[in-house]
Amino acid sequence: MRLLYGVLLLVASLSAAVAQVTHAELVRLAAANNGVIKLNPVLYDALTAPNRQWSAAIQFTALSPQFKCSPCSDFNPSFKSVAKAWSKVHSAERDQHFFATLDFLEGQDVFKRLGLSSAPVLQFFPALEGPSVRPNPQRLEFSYDFSRHGFDAEELAKDLSNHTPIPIPYTAPFNWQPWFFGFTFLVLSLVAGRFAWIYLREIISNRWLWAAATVGLTLVMTSGYMFVQIRGMPYAQHNSMIAGGFQNQFGIEVNLVAALYGLLGASYLALILLVPRIPSPIRQRASVYLWTGILFVLFSILISFFRIKNGGYPFKLLL
Amino acid sequence: MTILKLPTFAPSTLTNAASLIRILALAFIAGAAISSRLFAVINFESIIHEFDPWFNYRATRVLASQGFTEFWNWFDPTAWYPLGRVVGGTIYPGLMATSGVIYNILHALHLPVDIRNVCVLLAPGFSGLTAWATYMLTKELKDESAGLLAAIFIGIAPGYISRSVAGSYDNEAIAIFLLMITFYIWIRALKDGSVLYGTLAAVFYFYMVAAWGGYAFITNMIPLHAFVLLLMGRFSHRLYSAYSAWYAVGTLASMQVPFVGFQPVLTSEHMAALGVFGLLQLVAFVETIRNLLASKQFQLMLRWFLIAAGVAGGLIIVGLTVTKTIAPWTGRFYSLWDTGYAKKYIPIIASVSEHQPTAWPAFFMDLHMLIFLFPAGVVLCFKELREEHVFVIIYSVMASYFAGVMVRLMLTLTPVVCMTAAIALSSLLDTYLNVDEPANPDANGVKETATSGAETPVDGTISKKKKKGVAAAAAAAAVTPSIATKAKGRSSAENGIFGIDTRILVIGNAIFMLVMFVLHCTWVTSTAYSSPSVVLASRRPDGSQNIIDDFREAYYWLRQNTPQDSVVMSWWDYGYQIAGMADRPTLVDNNTWNNTHIATVGKAMSSPEEISYPILRKHDVDYILVIFGGLIGYSGDDVNKFLWMVRIAQGVWPDEIKESNYFTPRGEYKVDDQASEAMKNSLMYKMSYYRFNDLFSGAPAFDRVRNQQMPKEGPKLDYIEEAFTSENWIVRIYKVKKEDPLGRDLKTAHAFDGGKRRKPSKPISRRKALAA
Repeated sequence: MRLLYGVLLLVASLSAAVAQVTHAELVRLAAANNGVIKLNPVLYDALTAPNRQWSAAIQFTALSPQFKCSPCSDFNPSFKSVAKAWSKVHSAERDQHFFATLDFLEGQDVFKRLGLSSAPVLQFFPALEGPSVRPNPQRLEFSYDFSRHGFDAEELAKDLSNHTPIPIPYTAPFNWQPWFFGFTFLVLSLVAGRFAWIYLREIISNRWLWAAATVGLTLVMTSGYMFVQIRGMPYAQHNSMIAGGFQNQFGIEVNLVAALYGLLGASYLALILLVPRIPSPIRQRASVYLWTGILFVLFSILISFFRIKNGGYPFKLLL
Repeated sequence: MTILKLPTFAPSTLTNAASLIRILALAFIAGAAISSRLFAVINFESIIHEFDPWFNYRATRVLASQGFTEFWNWFDPTAWYPLGRVVGGTIYPGLMATSGVIYNILHALHLPVDIRNVCVLLAPGFSGLTAWATYMLTKELKDESAGLLAAIFIGIAPGYISRSVAGSYDNEAIAIFLLMITFYIWIRALKDGSVLYGTLAAVFYFYMVAAWGGYAFITNMIPLHAFVLLLMGRFSHRLYSAYSAWYAVGTLASMQVPFVGFQPVLTSEHMAALGVFGLLQLVAFVETIRNLLASKQFQLMLRWFLIAAGVAGGLIIVGLTVTKTIAPWTGRFYSLWDTGYAKKYIPIIASVSEHQPTAWPAFFMDLHMLIFLFPAGVVLCFKELREEHVFVIIYSVMASYFAGVMVRLMLTLTPVVCMTAAIALSSLLDTYLNVDEPANPDANGVKETATSGAETPVDGTISKKKKKGVAAAAAAAAVTPSIATKAKGRSSAENGIFGIDTRILVIGNAIFMLVMFVLHCTWVTSTAYSSPSVVLASRRPDGSQNIIDDFREAYYWLRQNTPQDSVVMSWWDYGYQIAGMADRPTLVDNNTWNNTHIATVGKAMSSPEEISYPILRKHDVDYILVIFGGLIGYSGDDVNKFLWMVRIAQGVWPDEIKESNYFTPRGEYKVDDQASEAMKNSLMYKMSYYRFNDLFSGAPAFDRVRNQQMPKEGPKLDYIEEAFTSENWIVRIYKVKKEDPLGRDLKTAHAFDGGKRRKPSKPISRRKALAA
C-alpha cells in the first residue's frame, strides 16, 4: 500500500514538474525550506533553464553517510545559513536569486552531465534574460573557490554578494557559548583563587613549574609544531610516519623530535646536576657511563632521522 | 683530594695568562667566523648575492659616489615605473651608511678599495663583532669560559651564517651584531642601574632602528623583560633608571629615521614600550610615597591611586585605539600571531619563501647539537634566575615561537640558542674538568656533608645574597676559566666526580660532539648557504664544476643592446637585479610597497596575449623578462612562481583572474597536454615554452623541473617577439611589438606576414582587445 502511494506521489510530482515549473513555484519551494530549494533533476533543469530570468547558487553535495563526505557536511550549514539570511530580503530582490541544493542521491545523472567527480561544489548560475541580467564580467557561470575562501559562511556571503541583486544581509550569529563559559570560569577561578591563594601562590612562584613550561614550549616550537599547525599537516599517514622532503613533516614527527631533544637535553642536565651529587663512587661511575651512552645513542638516532629527511647528509654515527 | 696534581703558579701569573688566552681565543674565533663565510668568494667570485643586496649595493654606490645628502634626497625614477620611488624615505639607511663610512675611512688611509668589496665583506666582518658581543653578553650570564663557547657557536652556527656569508649584503648582516650589543648594554645598564649605559643602549638601539625593520624585536623584548621583572616583584631603582634612560633617548632617536617617523608613538608595535615606561613611573612614584607616609595612610592611598591610574590608562588606550589614533598592528607583524592572516589578506607577504613556517629539519640543519643543549641551558638559567637570566628565558620563548612561524626568524633564535647552549656545555666542562675529587664515603665511612653541606648548597633554594657572594668570590678568584675557578670555589665539597675515566669519557664525548658540530657547520655552509644565486653551479658527469651564468649574461645583454630608457617588465623578484645589473627601469621590484602595481604585472603575465597587450602598452613596457628552468632543471623559475602571480592578480581582479582556472579539472598543476586553457593561453606559459620544442628536434619536449612532457605543438606569439635567450635558457627576454602601422591588430598582421589568410572573424577579436 505504502509502495503504491509512493509511486503515485512520484508520478504526481513528475507530471507537475513536466507541466512547467513556474517562477512562483520556485519561490514557494524556497520559502518552504528556509530559502533552500531541494532539487531533483527536473527542478534542476527548470532552475537553470537557458531563458532563466533569475540567478541561482546551487550546492552539489553528497550528504548521506554512505559517501563519507565530511567536507559536504562541513559546508552544508554555512550554505543553509547564508540562504536563510537571503530569505529575509524583501521579496522584490529575493525572488531574483535562488539558493538550491542537489544531493548526489537525487541527481546522479546531473552530476554525470556536469562532469562533477567531487563534492561539495557550489555553482553560480547568473540570470540570462530579463531585468536582472548583470553587466558582462559578472555574467559568467562560476564555481565557488573553496581553496581560496574556505567553508566559512561569512566568506561565502561576502563573495556571493558580488553577484546577487543586492548584497546578502548575512551577519554571523553571535557565539555566546565561549563568552558564557569564559565568564563563568573567570568568576569561579576568582572565587577559588581567593580561598586557595596560599597554595596558589606557591604554585605561581614555583620556578621549576615555569621552567617546565618554558622548556616544553621551546621543545615543541623547535620541532616544527607551528609548521604542522599552519600547514594543517596530518598526524601520520598509513604507510609512513615520516614525511618525505626536507621542508615537510607530519604531526607525529613533532612528538618524536621533541622527545629526542628533550631526552638529549635531560641527559646533559643529568650529567651536570645529578651525577655530581651521587655520593657513592660506584653508582656515580655507572650513571656517568649510562648517561653518556644514552647521549651517544640518542644522538645517533637523531642524525639517522635527519638523514632520512636530507638524503645528501654525509655524516652518520652508530646507525 | 685531587685526581691530578696541578702545577702551582702565582695568582697574578694565572690571571695574566688567562686574559691573554682569552684575547687570543677571541681573535681566533673572529678569524674562524670570517673565514667560514668566504666559501662563496672562493667558489665563485666577489659578487653581490641574491636580490635585495643588489638594491643595497646600488644605493651604497650612490652614497659613496655622490655623498650623503644626495643619497638622502635620492628619488629613483627608474623603479616602479612610472611611479618612481623616494629612496631616502623608504629605506633603513644604516647598512649603506656603515659601508659608506668604512669606504671613506679606507680611502682616507689611502687604501683604494672598491666599494663592491666593502659591501661583499661587510657581513663577514660584522660576524666577528657579533661573536665578541655574544661573548660579552654570555659572560654576564655565567663566566668567561661560557662566553668563549658562545662566541665560537655564534661564529660558525649555520643559522647565522645563512644570512651573513660574503656577498649577502643585507640589513641582517649588521643587525644581529646590533641586536646582541644592544642586549648586552641593556643588561649592563640594568645591573649597574646606570643612566650612562642606558643611554648607550639607546644609541645602539637607534643604530639598529636605522639598520633593520626587525628592531621591533628589541622594542618589545626590553619592555617585556622590565614587565616580567615587575611581576616577579623585582622592581628596583636600577631598573627604573636603566629603562627610563633607554626608552626616552631611544624613542626620540629612533624617530629621526625618516622611514620610522612618528610610528613609535602611533602604532601598536611600540605601545608595549610606552606602557611599561608609564607603569615604571607609576611604580616608582608609589615606592617614593611609601617611604614618606605611614603605612595605614599609604595602604589607603595606594589602593585609590592604583585604581584611578589603571582606569585612566585603560580608557586612554581604548579611546585612542577606537579613534584610530594608534594604528593597529601592521600586517607583517600581525601575521606572526594570526598565522592564517597573511595567506588570506596579504598574499604578497605569504608568497615569499622565507616567510614560510619552519619544519624541524631546518632547525637541526641550522643549529645541530645546540638545539638540544638549548633546553638544558634554559633550565640552568632557571637555576640561577638573576635578572639577566630572566631576560634570556623570555628571549628564548619568544624567539623559538617566532622561528617556528617563519623560517627567516631563525636568525633571531640563533644567538639565544648559542648563549644557552654555551652555558650548558660550559657547566658540563666545569664539572668534569674540576680536578678535585670528593671524599669517598665508602672508603672513609663518614660523610662530610654535615660540616660542609651548609656552606655550598647546590639546589636553587638558597638565598640570592649568598649566591651572589659565592659568584663574586668565584669571579674574584677567576683564573684559568674552567679549571681553577671551581677548584677554589668548592674545595672539599661533597659533590663532585670520582675517578679519571669518568672525566675522560664525558669530556671526550663533549669534544666528539664539538667536532661533529664543526664538521656539520662547515658542510652546511659550503653546500647550502654559499651560493650567490646569481651564479649557479652544477656538477658535470665527471665531477668537475660547471658555472651557470645565465642571469648576468642576460642582464648584460639588456645593458648593451637596448636603449637606456627601455622599460623591462618581470616578476618582482628580479626587479632589483635588473636595476642593479642591467640599469634599466623596472615596473616592480623587491620593495613590494604597491600591491596593485604588482597585481597589474601578475595580470599581464597570467592573461592571454590580447588582454595583456594593452596593459603592456599602457605601461610603456619594451621588454619582458621571464625565468625558465625547464631545460636544465632550475626549480626556482617563473612557472613555479606562476600561481603566486595568479593569486596576487586575483586579489585585485577577482572577476577576471581565477586561480582554479589554472589547474586541470582534477586540481593538478600541469603544463603538458592536459594543462587548462587559461594556463596554455597565459602570457607566462607562452613565453616560457615558446620554441622549446625546437630544441628536441622532433622528439617530444620534456620539462625537467615539472617532469612533464610538453604538447607536440608549441605556443605561438603574435604580440611580442623573442629578443634574447640565455645559454641555458634560464633567462628569456621578449620584445613587445609596437602597434601595427596599418592599424590592424597584431594577430592579423602576424598572420598576414606569415602568408596565411585569416577567417573573416577577426574584427571581433580586435574589438575585444580594444575593449579590454
